[in-house]
Amino acid sequence: MDIRYTDALIIGGGLAGLRSAIATTSKGLDTIVLSLVPVKRSHSAAAQGGMQASLGNTIMSEGDNEDVHFADTVKGSDWGCDQEVARMFVNTAPKAIRELASWGVPWTRIGKGDRDVVINTKKTTITEKDEAHGLINARDFGGTKKWRTCYTSDATGHTMLYAVANEAMRRGVVIEDKKEAISLIVEDGRCYGAIVRDLKNGGLIAYVAKGTMLATGGYGRIYKQSTNATICKGTGHAIALEAGAYMGNMEAVQFHPTPIVPSGILLTEGCRGDGGVLRDKDGYRFMPDYEPEKKDLASRDVVSRRMLEHIRKGKGVPSPYGDHLWLDISILGREHIEKNLRDVQEISKTFNGIDPADEGEKGWMPVLPMQHYSMGGIRVTPKGESVNIKGLFSAGEAACWDLHGFNRLGGNSVSEAVVSGMIIGDYFADFCSEHEINIDTKVVEKALKKQDDYLNELLAMEGDENIYDIKDEMRNIMQENVGIFRNGKDLDYAVKRLSELLVKSKNITITNKHRLLNPQLEEAYKVPMMLKVALCVAKGARERTESRGAHYREDYPKRDDVNWLKRTISYWANEDDIEPTLQYEELDIMKMEMPPAFRGYGKKGNTIENPLSQKRQDEIDKIKEANKDSNRYEIQDAIMPYELQDEYKKVNERIGVAQ
Amino acid sequence: MSKTNINENIVESLIGTTIEKKKSRIPARLDFLQSATGLFLAVFMIFHMLFVSSILISKDFMLSVTKAFELSFLFEGGSTIPVFIAISVVFAVFIFHAFLALRKFPINYRQFLRLKTHSNLMKHSDTNLWIVQITTGFALFFLGSIHLYTMLTNSGNIGPYASADRVYSDYMWMLYILLLIAVEFHGAIGLYRLSVKWGWFDSGDAKESRRRLKRVKMIMTVVMLLLGAMTLIAYMKIGYEHQANYGERYTLSSNIGDK
Amino acid sequence: MSKTEDASLEKQEQNIGKVEDVVKKSELVLEKEMSIDGSREITITSLKYNPSNPNSKPEFVDYKLRETPGMTLYIALTKIKATLDNDLSSDFVCRAGICGACGMLVNGRPQLACKTLTSDFESGKIELLPLPTFKLIKDLSVDTGTWMKNMSLRVNSWIVSKEKTDISKIEKPVEPKVADEVFELDRCIECGICVASCSTAIMREDFVGAVGLNRVARFQIDPHDTRTDEDFYEIIGDDDGIFGCMSLLACEDHCPKNLSLQSKIAYMRRKMVNV
Repeated sequence: MDIRYTDALIIGGGLAGLRSAIATTSKGLDTIVLSLVPVKRSHSAAAQGGMQASLGNTIMSEGDNEDVHFADTVKGSDWGCDQEVARMFVNTAPKAIRELASWGVPWTRIGKGDRDVVINTKKTTITEKDEAHGLINARDFGGTKKWRTCYTSDATGHTMLYAVANEAMRRGVVIEDKKEAISLIVEDGRCYGAIVRDLKNGGLIAYVAKGTMLATGGYGRIYKQSTNATICKGTGHAIALEAGAYMGNMEAVQFHPTPIVPSGILLTEGCRGDGGVLRDKDGYRFMPDYEPEKKDLASRDVVSRRMLEHIRKGKGVPSPYGDHLWLDISILGREHIEKNLRDVQEISKTFNGIDPADEGEKGWMPVLPMQHYSMGGIRVTPKGESVNIKGLFSAGEAACWDLHGFNRLGGNSVSEAVVSGMIIGDYFADFCSEHEINIDTKVVEKALKKQDDYLNELLAMEGDENIYDIKDEMRNIMQENVGIFRNGKDLDYAVKRLSELLVKSKNITITNKHRLLNPQLEEAYKVPMMLKVALCVAKGARERTESRGAHYREDYPKRDDVNWLKRTISYWANEDDIEPTLQYEELDIMKMEMPPAFRGYGKKGNTIENPLSQKRQDEIDKIKEANKDSNRYEIQDAIMPYELQDEYKKVNERIGVAQ
Repeated sequence: MSKTNINENIVESLIGTTIEKKKSRIPARLDFLQSATGLFLAVFMIFHMLFVSSILISKDFMLSVTKAFELSFLFEGGSTIPVFIAISVVFAVFIFHAFLALRKFPINYRQFLRLKTHSNLMKHSDTNLWIVQITTGFALFFLGSIHLYTMLTNSGNIGPYASADRVYSDYMWMLYILLLIAVEFHGAIGLYRLSVKWGWFDSGDAKESRRRLKRVKMIMTVVMLLLGAMTLIAYMKIGYEHQANYGERYTLSSNIGDK
Repeated sequence: MSKTEDASLEKQEQNIGKVEDVVKKSELVLEKEMSIDGSREITITSLKYNPSNPNSKPEFVDYKLRETPGMTLYIALTKIKATLDNDLSSDFVCRAGICGACGMLVNGRPQLACKTLTSDFESGKIELLPLPTFKLIKDLSVDTGTWMKNMSLRVNSWIVSKEKTDISKIEKPVEPKVADEVFELDRCIECGICVASCSTAIMREDFVGAVGLNRVARFQIDPHDTRTDEDFYEIIGDDDGIFGCMSLLACEDHCPKNLSLQSKIAYMRRKMVNV
């Protein structure tokens, strides 16, 4: 039997996994990163628009700091996030950007003096300060008060991923690609590694480690239409589920307003951030009517819903692929597009034959909201460890750390990936340093044999069902019944039907009987995994009878802070269950730095308020009053203290701001 | 224990680096020299073509060009030694260029097969041009050597009749047709390749510069082939008319009037 | 659909109900579109071979399918895999031309399959082969990952700096123009198309390829990197490096990111020859 030992095992080679690997190697731990694909092809690379960090360099972000970023993030999450985690995050994000700059991310920089930008469809000239010359620039993004999204043209995720992967290689991280973890080795509530399938030859290997981290990204592919890469199937979540781990808020799924129709390839939020606008069939810019303040740049959940609402008013553009709306960036001018939105232009030209730099209607791109991001994931503590399995950590999109609550802000995803890699990676390294591998080889061999038997069992099946049909149906159900607008009836249908599909998936036939590189066999073990994840999403959504962030219930359109200020925890209680078990984790308003209130966009008066919110606000006001001579760090600490590594807690320096 | 001086080459061939653990600078020199010798030969070929095609103007003109090379303006009647030396230099550069170019050739069946399949599948013009380049280069090993050796041993026998006799009566025309084609393709492609390789004439838009260079290359091949063909025909004609007097040398018509 | 007590929301709710219908309808139209009569039949031919299976022999298999509007090779191959041949392997990740996973020979030319529209082929015949120069895993799937990892390690594809960075202090300023230039070269997606296009790489497997030379040029111009030209010579100063390049430029002509490989390789050659 092939058993390999290491100190730290990281499953997933995107930004979060690789940055964590740097954290563990820098503490002298032998680290192996396993990845489904060569790590530089991870889905992090597809993040186009940028990374949020409150550097405050450009004139348009003057006055920005951690506090503003924190408030934007909490509002964006519709108060679903963990505010202590949000604090950890906003304080580390500027450091992450600066670290990445030193590792070679060619951030777009500021040139002093005048430059033309488009604000509210009008060309405007802004003047950058002399001392900002050469510092990292930022663009506008949805749901943010300041221009805070740092970027490299529209290939930000790509340059970040390459820089982090390169740095990981420099530090001697062992990266093994085309390796797929198909189960975790868990004994007595402690994780010891994973059983892994080698996708180059089909063999099984047991990786045994002091600590194991899942950084496997999102689960968008359970939907029919998603901007996610083909590898974002949520199998990382599934193996954690099967090991008994708790998932958090799986129903919190984000839909991005502007994937291009019909291919579903994402056009970055930077299009609107830089001044692009949405238009309807009459060429009318409709968003200001719905959202007078943030207009096209309200948070993603709000814009997506408003778009569908507008289509329903008959304002959509008819096409063979259904009604859609237009995204117009031609107003930004060819020069800007060819420099800062080049990938967008390339995608639009290649897949739709439209050059978005062409003036007027000719350059408008067809868009429609589609699944984009998974806020939910493996429920972890602020240190990143699974709340119920020791030695199992998770970071990035895979985790429910819970930075995003019920809606993530654009630019906070790659930012979270790197920042969680820094923070959680470091805690993970501590765990690996402090613990030994004390597991009986027999347990490992048993776990390996179990998977080996399972694969043989799948091959031997002689049922009537077709695994591809099951997958298609699952993805359609998710698309139609667990989408942007949800209701009890559809969700109930979804849960029941998905459970049936899970049963059916055990009654299939694989026509090719070989174990070596058999794509059909891969589907056969992946689809049931995806179904389990889908069930967590659907059931969590069915039970949550309120609307919060991206989770919108037509039958319960209000945010209910009285009954639903809590996190959904879903898990697989017994191996043979056909749906997950749910329980809830309360959010404590009395510990919040920012108690629930109006987000500043979306519908007003759409909240069932919790009396504690006001009570907490009064308390906070009192603390502020009592500490009015203190600096903002001290006041913050008095309201909501939080733990963070000393290195990351340091004050972030900014131009023109006294320390 | 004493230390013997070590042979640098032994160290480099075993270890892969010099004694200072640095990479050898030789590959850089070789790369440069391959280009430099190629450039020299290509420029030489352009002038060579211009000189031999002087026959198209007149026999007298051709003879005076020849005499100029024999440095007749320095001493009475000229000498064949400068020509001999010039040919020797060109021959040496030619051999050295061939030696350097060999490094790039497919050298076994597998490499040959892969290259051939690659170019057939891909249908990429610059790659195909390189196939032309190695084919003509290979031909030039022989064609060029024969010609150069012939000229080396006949450095005194260059002139309107001498050359024409060689072309016609000595049956060199067959060689010259092949040589002409091989040289003109090889030289023009080579010059084009040098330009893109070193980034000459790169106006900032590399793709556009390359398109322009390719056009120049095409024109050059056509012009040189035409010029060469016409020249060859001219010598054939003279050689045909002069076959009865094989061996006779041409003298300037303004002198005694040998017609 | 269950009703809430709040009557004022009822209208809005109904409106939204219809939105769901719109989405469902679009799905139906999409399905219908897929089976439009009169769309042509295309033939995709693929190499099939599984080197890890001793019983497998290389063969060419034809797949006939109806072309749908805007069909890319990603869509076509996904359809083939789900309906015609469950055993066909290929590599797709982002399916948007961003990740570089799906390079293959399409009618002989190395390109990204996800960005290739079937409608570009008038004859309706498309022959697919795995990228040469990389180890074949199965059918159209090749191991670019190992090759690229070795390349990165070999050219030290990372910032080498003597400076220490304090990440809580203001970052080192970089001229905006220089940052843009570095970004231009940093756009490489390691798809391997330059390597598969390269006549040197086809013949000599140790050749570093345009991807490696471009990477060195990227760090050479990066102000964060303190390496000198002498240092870079140690990496690419031989016939497996810059001097192995014959400037046939199929790399430049096929690069899906339109990187200026021609200029940058020439630039590195001039630098390295003068070391």
